[in-house]
Amino acid sequence: MDNFGIVFAIFGAAISVLLSGIGSSIGVGMGGEAAAGVVTEDPSKFGKVLLLQLLPGTQGIYGLLVAIFTFIQTGILGEPTTVSFIQGLLYFASCLPMGIVGLWSALKQARAAVAGIGIVAKRPDQMGKAMTFPVMVETYALLALLTSILAILNIPNINL
Amino acid sequence: MAIVKMKKLALCALKKDRKNILESIQRAGVVQVENSEMQDELFEKIDAKQSIEVFKSNAKVASDALEILDHFTASKGKKVSSLVGRDSISKEDYYEFVDNAQEIMRMAYTICDAQNTILEKEAEIVRLALKKDSLKPWMNLDVNMNFKGTKFTKAFIGTVPGEQDKESLLAVFKKFAPDIENIEFEIVSKSIDATYVFVVCKKENSIDVEEALKNMGFLPPVSITKHTPEYKIEKISEKIKSLKEDIDDFGKLIASYEGARNAMRFIIDYYSIRSEKYEVISKLQYTKHTFMLFGFVPEKEQKKIEKVLSNNFTVAFEFSSVEDGEFPILLKNSALASPVEPVLESYSLPGKGEVDPTSTMAFFYYILFGLMLSDAAYGILITIGCLFALIKFKNMESGLKKSLNMFLYCGISTTFWGIMFGSYFGDAIEVISETFFHHKITIPALWFVPLNEPMRMLAYSFGFGILHLFAGLFLKTCQLFKAKKYKDIFYDVISWYLLVGGSVIYLLSMPMMTKLLTLSFVLSKTAANASWICIAVGALTIVLTSGRKSKNPFKRLLKGLYSLYGVTSYVSDVFSYSRLLALGLATGVIAQVFNKMGVVAGSGVLGVIVFTTIFLIGHTMNIGINLLGAYVHTNRLQFVEFFSKFYEGGGKKFSPFSINTKYYKIKEDI
Repeated sequence: MDNFGIVFAIFGAAISVLLSGIGSSIGVGMGGEAAAGVVTEDPSKFGKVLLLQLLPGTQGIYGLLVAIFTFIQTGILGEPTTVSFIQGLLYFASCLPMGIVGLWSALKQARAAVAGIGIVAKRPDQMGKAMTFPVMVETYALLALLTSILAILNIPNINL
Repeated sequence: MAIVKMKKLALCALKKDRKNILESIQRAGVVQVENSEMQDELFEKIDAKQSIEVFKSNAKVASDALEILDHFTASKGKKVSSLVGRDSISKEDYYEFVDNAQEIMRMAYTICDAQNTILEKEAEIVRLALKKDSLKPWMNLDVNMNFKGTKFTKAFIGTVPGEQDKESLLAVFKKFAPDIENIEFEIVSKSIDATYVFVVCKKENSIDVEEALKNMGFLPPVSITKHTPEYKIEKISEKIKSLKEDIDDFGKLIASYEGARNAMRFIIDYYSIRSEKYEVISKLQYTKHTFMLFGFVPEKEQKKIEKVLSNNFTVAFEFSSVEDGEFPILLKNSALASPVEPVLESYSLPGKGEVDPTSTMAFFYYILFGLMLSDAAYGILITIGCLFALIKFKNMESGLKKSLNMFLYCGISTTFWGIMFGSYFGDAIEVISETFFHHKITIPALWFVPLNEPMRMLAYSFGFGILHLFAGLFLKTCQLFKAKKYKDIFYDVISWYLLVGGSVIYLLSMPMMTKLLTLSFVLSKTAANASWICIAVGALTIVLTSGRKSKNPFKRLLKGLYSLYGVTSYVSDVFSYSRLLALGLATGVIAQVFNKMGVVAGSGVLGVIVFTTIFLIGHTMNIGINLLGAYVHTNRLQFVEFFSKFYEGGGKKFSPFSINTKYYKIKEDI
């Protein structure tokens, strides 16, 4: 039974990467569609809309980060350690915030980014504001990332 | 840290000097001309809309022509980017171009017309090609397409659906018209979709035959000509050829104007300057022989304008001081702070009675940015990149220069924090030395490694946050002081300092808290007791004074309690600074992952190649993503957490009447 610890840990890592990666790819895709529309009209706005398109892409990276922390802590990367069954479940639970919030926030951030691309299309001078709205959403992805990482880093200290 | 003081200018001069005066003012570029709303029988305004339209359309034609030129000539014109900057134009060239303005516009129109002709001819070619395609299956028909028959026969030319041969056609025909004997089908050509046939019958049967053919799905050809198809196709080919030649000729005609590219550029600038001038003209007030101009001038430019005007013209002018909040905003800051002015501007310029927060903001901007990126090597790369661009492109436009300067300082700060946290391309030095030289070298962090002590970093992130927020409150103090609302300083600022500061001290005196945040100290009991007094005084002040605008004491108390509830917003604001840790970790860990991926191929020659490739690609990507992250999140911390403590904005930007050109810098002495 003890061997199942590592299985759950990797399940967690996989979920974190999967969900936030799905969210980011849909999000960046949405941004790309909107951005391509703007570039058809005015190719000089490429740089600006590209930045906005990339904003929902960070969740995927955060998901990867959480997975890597899990790998390091469970000995998949680096020095091998033993992971008890309970610890495995704990890793699994710790990965959930990043996965779920990552998915949801990427989708919602993408919509804000698409709206921001709309701003840039009409008023390129308002780029700063257009970027601020999507960033408001990103905060929650960051909070989820912190929650996941802080939990993962402290699980080895729990003797179960 | 300052908003530039403005003076209001009122100027009266002779109408005959108007052109020269306006041009002098435009060149000086320090006066914002206001639209005068003065109602007076003596004065009237001029409607310059029509001239402005003409100038704008001229500029448009010239810029279209320039685009067409770039399309048709092999040697693309020198790109005018904000990095390279605009060329200066000499006095001789300027006047030569101005004298030839009409000629240049004629060229622009010629170029645009030629382009339109080319487009028309291209459309014609497409139309002809379609016609040619529809005739092609009839190539083998050796009579005219509109051939109807001879004296005793009737002929039908057309298509039937599907690929068929003579026998099958006859069989189908017999089904619809069994009585008709004398009929001849000749198949001209066939494809999968249709068979092209020539049908002959006796004239007396023609009605029946036509009916039967119609039932077979017989259709007349799409294009009918009075010539044989072969002849017509040849004709069309000739026509297309001649059209293509024409297009080439027009293309050459356009290309022959290649030398006029600079003239086009100049004329675009020239007409945009003139249309701006006429917009100002429509803002003035006129009598029969004089005109009046109202506007704003920065106080330190007053002398310059006085000199320009009184030395050259017969004018009367007056500078008067302006009320607070009723003048356009121009910021003036030190070289270190001014690069973040555009960030402030993208939020909003200081409104009525507000101080310019640029300096304080710049200080925190650089620090927070550095904390988020926090890698010495990345910082050095950014610093070098910005320095290189700033030195190489001296002629750069000022907006870009400011941005680059901002990233330069951010880069320096990133380097500093990177050294403090011991991060150089993540853990690249350790990894490289261990894998390729089998001897682990570590550059120890000057302060501590956040990855190893995340809680400690979290505590310091909150600390930076509290400092940032308190700086915001301090700026509010300055604002209230400026407005001479001394009591409000105590009510609205000091009360919060006491409440929030006291709470922080109290938390730090709890051993549980300091242990959690891995701090090495615990504040004493005395401090805890003192903090209680601070909290109590602060909270009481807030409850009692926040509702001071209401007369009703009950309402006042409720409002006070509600304000006290605002302490939760401080909690969430402080927590928001946890992103300093999160983004810092993101940079460091992704860098480490790439380093780890790089050494998979071991330490041989192949290992070095693999490592170099992964290292370059990985770290380029990491810099890009985290630079973007650091930039947007620093902005957010400024806009949301910092500004919400004191800043509303709403000021209008000072936009002087000046020479705004796209391609050339026009020197003042012209």
